[in-house]
Amino acid sequence: MTYKVIGKRVKRVEDPRLLTGGALFVGDVNLPNMLHAAFFRSDYAHAKIKSIDTSLAKEIPGVVGVYTAEDMGEAWEPGPPLVSPPPTLEGVVFNSRRQVPLVKDKVKHAGEIIAVVVAESRYIAEDAVEEIYVDYEPLPAVTNLEKCLEPGHPLVHDDLDSNLAAYLVQNKGDYEAAKKEADLVLKRKFKLDRGAAVAMENRGIVVDWDQKNQHLMIWDTTQSPIPIRNGMAARLGLRTHQVRVVAPFVGGGFGPKIMMFYAEEMVLPWLTMKLNRPVKWIEDRKENFYATTQEREQVQEVEMALSKEGRILGIKQKIIHDTGAFDPYGLTTPLNTQSHSMGGYDVQNYNSELFVVFTNKIIVTPVRGAGRPQGIYVVERMLDIASKELKLDPRDVRRLNFIPKDAFPYNHEIIDQAFVELVLDSGNYLPAYEKALEKIEYDKFVQEEQPRLRAEGKYVGIGVVPFIETTGVGPYEGARVAVEPSGKISAATGVGTQGQSHMTSFAQIIAEELGVEVEDVSLVSGDTAEIHWGTGTFASRGAVVAGNAVLAAASDVRKKVLKLASKILETPEDELELEGGLVRVADIPEKSISLGELAVLANPFRGAVEPGTEPGLESTKYFGPAYGATAFGVHGMILEVDPETMMIKIHKYIAVEDCGTMLNPLVVEGQIHGGVSMGIGNAYYEKLHYDENAQLLNASLADYLIPTSAEMPHIEVYHENTPAPNNKLGTKGVGEAGAIPVPAAFAQALENALPDFNLEITETPLSPNRLYELLYKSEE
Amino acid sequence: MENTFELSVTVNGTSYQKVIDPRTLLSDFLRNDLELTGTHVGCEHGVCGACTIILNGDPVRSCLLFAPQVHGQEIITVEGLGTVDDMHPLQDAFREAHALQCGFCTPGFLTTLVPWLEENPNPTEEEIREAVSGNLCRCTGYQHIIDAVKLAAEKMN
Amino acid sequence: MKVEGEHLFSGTQQQVWDLFRDTEVMAAALPGTKKMELIGENTYEAVMNVRVGPVVGEFSGQLVISNEDHPTSYTMTVDGRGKPGFLKGVGDVILTNQGENQTLMGYTGEVQIGGKLAAVGQRLIDTVAKSIISQAFETLDNALAERVSAEAEGREAAYRKSSESDYAATVAKDLIKNVLKRTGSSEDS
Repeated sequence: MTYKVIGKRVKRVEDPRLLTGGALFVGDVNLPNMLHAAFFRSDYAHAKIKSIDTSLAKEIPGVVGVYTAEDMGEAWEPGPPLVSPPPTLEGVVFNSRRQVPLVKDKVKHAGEIIAVVVAESRYIAEDAVEEIYVDYEPLPAVTNLEKCLEPGHPLVHDDLDSNLAAYLVQNKGDYEAAKKEADLVLKRKFKLDRGAAVAMENRGIVVDWDQKNQHLMIWDTTQSPIPIRNGMAARLGLRTHQVRVVAPFVGGGFGPKIMMFYAEEMVLPWLTMKLNRPVKWIEDRKENFYATTQEREQVQEVEMALSKEGRILGIKQKIIHDTGAFDPYGLTTPLNTQSHSMGGYDVQNYNSELFVVFTNKIIVTPVRGAGRPQGIYVVERMLDIASKELKLDPRDVRRLNFIPKDAFPYNHEIIDQAFVELVLDSGNYLPAYEKALEKIEYDKFVQEEQPRLRAEGKYVGIGVVPFIETTGVGPYEGARVAVEPSGKISAATGVGTQGQSHMTSFAQIIAEELGVEVEDVSLVSGDTAEIHWGTGTFASRGAVVAGNAVLAAASDVRKKVLKLASKILETPEDELELEGGLVRVADIPEKSISLGELAVLANPFRGAVEPGTEPGLESTKYFGPAYGATAFGVHGMILEVDPETMMIKIHKYIAVEDCGTMLNPLVVEGQIHGGVSMGIGNAYYEKLHYDENAQLLNASLADYLIPTSAEMPHIEVYHENTPAPNNKLGTKGVGEAGAIPVPAAFAQALENALPDFNLEITETPLSPNRLYELLYKSEE
Repeated sequence: MENTFELSVTVNGTSYQKVIDPRTLLSDFLRNDLELTGTHVGCEHGVCGACTIILNGDPVRSCLLFAPQVHGQEIITVEGLGTVDDMHPLQDAFREAHALQCGFCTPGFLTTLVPWLEENPNPTEEEIREAVSGNLCRCTGYQHIIDAVKLAAEKMN
Repeated sequence: MKVEGEHLFSGTQQQVWDLFRDTEVMAAALPGTKKMELIGENTYEAVMNVRVGPVVGEFSGQLVISNEDHPTSYTMTVDGRGKPGFLKGVGDVILTNQGENQTLMGYTGEVQIGGKLAAVGQRLIDTVAKSIISQAFETLDNALAERVSAEAEGREAAYRKSSESDYAATVAKDLIKNVLKRTGSSEDS
């Protein structure tokens, strides 16, 4: 398809306001008579609450109220389960335990909220929080994934008989039979650890209950306003039209902002309805480390059976996945890990046993990658290790195992996060892999550069890692497109925006269909008053699911436009064209009518209409794919390690990505750059350090290090295009791709840079300190 | 309020006199008392740089200052750099190079770079990377920001 | 966090043992102590003002002496909490006679911290802990000297309480010493 607007590097329509400080973020909402909330959070990760003394706090002038779980009475209720386990899997054990608004008797992770203060200013509210005294009985904390299932171990949830949150087995083919045919059976243990999303904007909510109108207004930094609206209405006994949720500009989401309901989201609406005044809470950065969800901790035992040529005969895996103190998000993350533990390879036999465990650490819900990086990490590491043992070129091992391009759609016969069988819809892995090797000049590096630099005493290494990414999952999204009497287009969709440029890329789709300028399309996302049905922005699905809904709605409007214009201009539809905001007759350009005029005519003030006519030039359409679209890519890096300081410098970084049809290449590149920066953070600089009391030891940006411009390399992005067969746009998601292969590529490059040290990396994240330990330990 | 301070300060060319709680952070004063919400708060630890404003010509973290500390001084915030219809060349360049995604960190980058570009009109990529290494961005990976600065430098000369 | 070390006292083993069991001395020795009271056999209640970088606030809690092997060794358990977070510790103290009015005191222990103290004070904890200990020993040395001479002269001992400014000065000194050590400069105060 040759497009005129889709696929072009269009400047963003949302930028001018953002650049001049005129865009609304939740923290900017200021209402008359507004109160401020501050929370008393537990220092202990695991403790019984013996008593709470809020008397001193209540006496501070300016404090309107101090509330605990007891004060909430019947309104106190844990959050609803967001994602239940897949009904399509047999033999699943699932213990659902969800987070609570205010802790009643036992604290289960550091940072859980015990009391809330409401005051005339944030300063007074925080002063009052300091005057609250809680008497705790500390309990031993559950932190060790491997030990926490042992009998007699302290329990996070006393009503369960162990710390098991979930158990399931996924099976494809017959691994044990395949193992018997193997020339090499490799077995390794991998440790993967936590990272945080660290969006630059912390979370926040402003709530406003209008008693006279019986209407609740909520501004929330959420990635999913419609489910929040639905859930809030249900919890508070209101109709959906009595609640409006707006996620205005949101400063980065990356996953945790779709988690719901956060305790604060359950407490604030109760407060505003009780006090009849607007209430505001904006998270501060330290709170963010305790109060906003995190991800990535797993222990995996992986076994791979291979032929001596390097062909994968089967993979067997045991995953212990940490869900933190609660599991509102079900099995999404670890199912993604399983779905990606075979990479883009033709693996006929796969057996994966999953244990999900409760610990006294902060709740785990997806963070950019959402379990996929862990899957890709283990399969790529195993192939690197296998290549060494079989004395094969690691590139040949990949080439041998890629799913061939005529084998799509390829059914992996296991269940993925969308509760359907994992079907890879399309792919063409070999050319992308070869392109990556070519662009990073692999042969030249390994044959010329590396030996030369080694001779100079430099430790340089190369890593190239292919990966797949499941994207564009359902259930569905919707879009509404309408031509206004002014001739401009208004549109709405339910996927909130946290920087993904929806207002521009979706406008491009509409502009393409209706022949208008991108600037003449005004798209609202994240306002439940604008569209009633939708899910949210997650799992790299915005472009695929909402984008195709936008296309469907715009196409429908186009049909209506043509039908009406054909009548008015007395010309058959196939002789009409849409351009420049007009409908014109192809050979007689003077014979035309503007979209605006048509819109007026489509909504008569008087007179009769043909029965069955819908007024206006408007359409609302939904798109729900049967299964997702599988994007893929290959990342390569050349890095140098200083063997004394262990600091690294990335000399070259390339990313070959295939997300099908690109809506806007500028946006795609931006997403890749951002994803890679998070991937590099996850590989070498970022790690959430918990001690044996489940205390977070680096809860500030000074100690939790996200990459700055100085750590980031220049990234060359190359595009391939294998269109998605199951949606009209042929597009696939790309939001998380950048973050997925980086830790695996890093490990490969580091081992390649330090051959004398016999380094075998089976953990992530690393750090300069950790690398030092690994090097000196392996020398002994 | 028991303890108050009568603050006099010029922001974006306008003089303000306000009676405030003396421990009000400058970032809160700008955002709440003056309703200039373009300056964003990312950490309140002085690390992320989103709250950067220009004080007497130099970029400083507004989250690390108490409002009384700027008594009698001159501040420029992102709102003072340009308007939607008349953007600063750097703001234009940011748009052209797609140097912002969520836009939350962007004001801090702009207020850091505008004074810096005046003193470094012809920067190399490495110099730019170092100049903004005190501003954190989680969305862009910085690459398009670097491109934007190069573009702006060209435009401004 | 592991805490261990040793200190040579100028006194007999019995004098050092008595020093450590003197509530008034202990209260004086730990900087920031606002209250130290013996509330039961071997159990003290204490309130201490703690400052670790930007984290400052009061801790209150209990100190329990156990496993007494007079006059050689004992175990001390600490459990305190306050606005800055919480602190739990257990340590063993061992005294060995070094002859000629010299007693070596050795200590090993584990301290666990949580809350704000752990989250934001982490990078300073090590240095600050060492500073508190070194200042405590300085005070104890003075107290011991006073006690020894008071015994010899047959009068009541009069102890000087360590102040918060002493403490601050010691912390500053130690921080600078650390930096100089790392940059390879010679130690200079």
